[in-house]
Amino acid sequence: ESRRRLCILKGIYPHEPKHKKKVNKGSTAPRTFYLLKDIRFLLHEPIVSKFRDYKIFIRKLRKAYGKANWSGVERLKENKPSYKLDHIIKERYPSFIDALRDLDDALSMCFLFSTFARTGKCHVQTIQLCRRLSVEWMNYIISSRSLRKVFLSIKGIYYQAEVLGQTVTWITPYQFAHDHPTDVDYRVMATFTELYTTLLGFVNFRLYQTLNLVYPPKLDGQSEVGLKAEFEEDFALESESYTEKLSALSASLARVVAQVEEEEAELDQFPSEAGEQGNLEAREKVELEQSRQRTLFEGLKFFLNREVPRESLAFVIRSFGGQVSWDKSLCIGSTYEVTDETITHHIVDRPSVGTQYINRFYIQPQWVYDSINGKLLLPVEEYFLGVTLPPHLSPFVEESEGDYVPPEKVKLMALQRGEQPGQPLLQSPCECTRASFSQDIIFTENEEEDDEEEEEEEEEEVEDEPSDDEEEAEDEANLAEMEERRLKGKSLSVKVTPGKVKPENRARAAEEEKAEEKRLAIMMMKKKEKYLYDKIMFGKKRKVREANKLAAKRKAHDDASTTDKKKKKKRS
Amino acid sequence: MAAARKHKRVAASQPGFLSIKSGNDGNNSNIKLRKRVNKNKKKNWGKYSDIQDVEEFLDDVRLQERTTGGLISEKPDDVLFFVDTGEKAKAKPPAPQTTKKGKRSRPLRIDLILQPDSHIEAPKNILAFQQPNAKKERRMAEKAAKLASKGVVPRRERLLQLRRAAWASGIHLKEKPIANNNPDRSFYDLWSTEAPETADPYYLEQTKRKLIKRPEKLNEKPSALPAIEVVAPGGSYNPDLFSHQDLLREAHEVEVKKKKAEEKIARQLAVNEELATEESIFKEQVEGLIEGDDEEPEEDAEGTAVGPTATQEKKTEKQRKKEKARRILELQRKTERRVVARRQQLYQLKSIRAALKKQEERTKMRQAQRKAKQEAQKSMPRRLGKLKFEAPDLEVQLSDELASSLRSLKPEGSIIKDRFKSLQKRNLIEPRDRAKFKWGNKVKYTEKRAFKEIQ
Repeated sequence: ESRRRLCILKGIYPHEPKHKKKVNKGSTAPRTFYLLKDIRFLLHEPIVSKFRDYKIFIRKLRKAYGKANWSGVERLKENKPSYKLDHIIKERYPSFIDALRDLDDALSMCFLFSTFARTGKCHVQTIQLCRRLSVEWMNYIISSRSLRKVFLSIKGIYYQAEVLGQTVTWITPYQFAHDHPTDVDYRVMATFTELYTTLLGFVNFRLYQTLNLVYPPKLDGQSEVGLKAEFEEDFALESESYTEKLSALSASLARVVAQVEEEEAELDQFPSEAGEQGNLEAREKVELEQSRQRTLFEGLKFFLNREVPRESLAFVIRSFGGQVSWDKSLCIGSTYEVTDETITHHIVDRPSVGTQYINRFYIQPQWVYDSINGKLLLPVEEYFLGVTLPPHLSPFVEESEGDYVPPEKVKLMALQRGEQPGQPLLQSPCECTRASFSQDIIFTENEEEDDEEEEEEEEEEVEDEPSDDEEEAEDEANLAEMEERRLKGKSLSVKVTPGKVKPENRARAAEEEKAEEKRLAIMMMKKKEKYLYDKIMFGKKRKVREANKLAAKRKAHDDASTTDKKKKKKRS
Repeated sequence: MAAARKHKRVAASQPGFLSIKSGNDGNNSNIKLRKRVNKNKKKNWGKYSDIQDVEEFLDDVRLQERTTGGLISEKPDDVLFFVDTGEKAKAKPPAPQTTKKGKRSRPLRIDLILQPDSHIEAPKNILAFQQPNAKKERRMAEKAAKLASKGVVPRRERLLQLRRAAWASGIHLKEKPIANNNPDRSFYDLWSTEAPETADPYYLEQTKRKLIKRPEKLNEKPSALPAIEVVAPGGSYNPDLFSHQDLLREAHEVEVKKKKAEEKIARQLAVNEELATEESIFKEQVEGLIEGDDEEPEEDAEGTAVGPTATQEKKTEKQRKKEKARRILELQRKTERRVVARRQQLYQLKSIRAALKKQEERTKMRQAQRKAKQEAQKSMPRRLGKLKFEAPDLEVQLSDELASSLRSLKPEGSIIKDRFKSLQKRNLIEPRDRAKFKWGNKVKYTEKRAFKEIQ
């Protein structure tokens, strides 16, 4: 069994022989084979002797227990042999980038193990270490703002981040979603975790160094003061409260060097040839887009109700620059209260809320995730309380040309391009409330709410309406003028005007030329190539046809569902 | 041995020595039996030399030593003789009270019997007085004393003193190694560039200060699959209708396939034949009895059937020659035909070229196919152990199971299982069964005879 562990730690995997009979003494019965050279390599490992020591330790311990030799047990336990995997990590990942590339497994395993209950399935210490490392990782992602995609699946939550140019994907389970399946070999998993915790620890250290952050992570001085709360004792012991506060993810981390105001790091411009110019521009565009995405939630203040997944949301919001807090009875580390007037978004996942503040959006948690995936703040109306949510699309799917694209995604892409299909984008809560009234969404406003606010709101409305009227009046006047002018122009029916130079549409001409070239190229094709080309084109067309069919189906479905709803409404 | 020799000498020097036991007749018989033998063989020395006298003498000496504690001849006169001055006064009368007392003080007879009656003292046990390593220890003690006089403290003492001093000052000399999974363990920059080793690499390797270089091949991944395979878009908690339908269809297909396989097995195991009825049993029993006429011709056939005749007639010389000629002719014809065909190929050059081209194309295509297959194999789970890899069940929520909000979401499947299967799928570990527990031998139940009889 220790051999198996060693193989896993050293990265030696079983091998399927090409000729089973040759290696298996003429039998074709399936067995597990390793390469001889690999195993020979394994024997040079210094850990082998450590494993042996451990085996002996266990034997001695058992004997001491059997003889009720308690002092002996004590002494043995004090001198328990231990080993380190540092050199194995160094050997398997000779450079830091290698380690980063192989981080997916490590992260998923650590996040998984950190959610385990502390009951005998694996060592409590391992669980604690996993928790520590995963919190460190999340804090790094927050401070480096490197999160890119989030996907809520029925299995768990998938995250994707871009760390130092490497794409790292990991999955975390939902809270309290644990059953321990019986057909999983926990010993093997524990061995993998042993390796991965060491790996993740070293990677974390290095990553913190690159950001000039203190490792092990320390909370920033200012935020630490802010976090002092009188309810601390309720959540954690004195010794644990600091780590708990760290894992609350609500405060920023201390840096080795005090942070200077972020400068806009512009790309160095080198004089380059025309061919590269376009490339450079594209890169700049991507850069700009990314920086915009990084500061997506900057300036927004979120408040989490107690029924939403706190950790995931806090992590996600903070890694896009938003501020987040929660009820102080929910978890340690809340920074502001519900009553804070500056809160812009209140995340709720229940059909209705008692007290409502007029100057904030009450939205469902999916809005946060969809906004991140869409790389822009989506219109909030579709995510209000009690509204049927639009589907949560997977950001990991990339449609190629001609594939079926769900209409929600089409809409999203249009939004990304800057168009405004259908409803206008709402930017301030006041506007939003009006819009929501117009959509017949009934808010159950509490009577206790401050009358002042309502009054203010009314006043605003009053102010707004006349201005609208004025504008309309202006418009009408303009129109009248135009009409008059046109009528005047009609009376002078014949007139010589200087000739205008017809603007040559260069782009269009180029396009036409291109098309012409393509047609000629097709004509010049050999018979065989032509056949292949036709086939490809046919395939593409078929794809488009199918996509169209699906879209039509969807439309029919949507229509049917809307009519159903209408009918229901009428009935009710 | 030396003592015996000495006695022998003593006996020889005393011609008038008289032995206690007189063995004259024994001497006579010896003379009578005297036989001539070659004395040049060592074997015969002992066998045929007369040592009777020596033996007897030695016996006598031993007897004397045993009984008197030494040779009588060596004893002083006053031990051997006494001056007889007549009878002494009568011994004290045995008093009755003394008898009683004497009875008590007198040793038991058995003890008297067991008392050694030999006057020779038992040899001393040297080992009982010897000290092991006495010499070495004495020398070491001397050395230690010498060093102590000079003021040199031995090593063990010195280390102990150091340890005590360290303990007193609160510094531990040897830090205890922190366990690998300690939650408070520290990390450092593993990939920092350290100073390159200057020593001889061979020396370092032999002294195990440098590890053996890891083969490059081990860094290759055994599968091309990514570590995390993201669920299909239909697996979203709030999926798009069509992608959800796609996922459902996929799951459905898997299920149908499984069902088909099950049905096939059931079909194969089903009993096809009809069960035996009374009629059919009767028919079976009667068969052969009624229709007895058919057997006779069969027997006839068996009788007439004869094996191949063993004796074949020998070929004549003429036949052999003819056969040979025919063979040669055949060969000639074949070669001729070959030559003609080759000549004919000159005119078929075009078609041959075409055929060659075709063949080449086919090999090329096959190569491409093989390569594609190998590529596909890279992302397939291999057969690594007794068990085949079994893909996990697709996680699917039916349309009515879908949650309306994140709060009411019921997660499907378990991530640990997903991770475990992923490791298997990527050929990192072999698929294994869960270890089954075995609890000793199987218990067998029997009825006791007595119990049986009652029933």
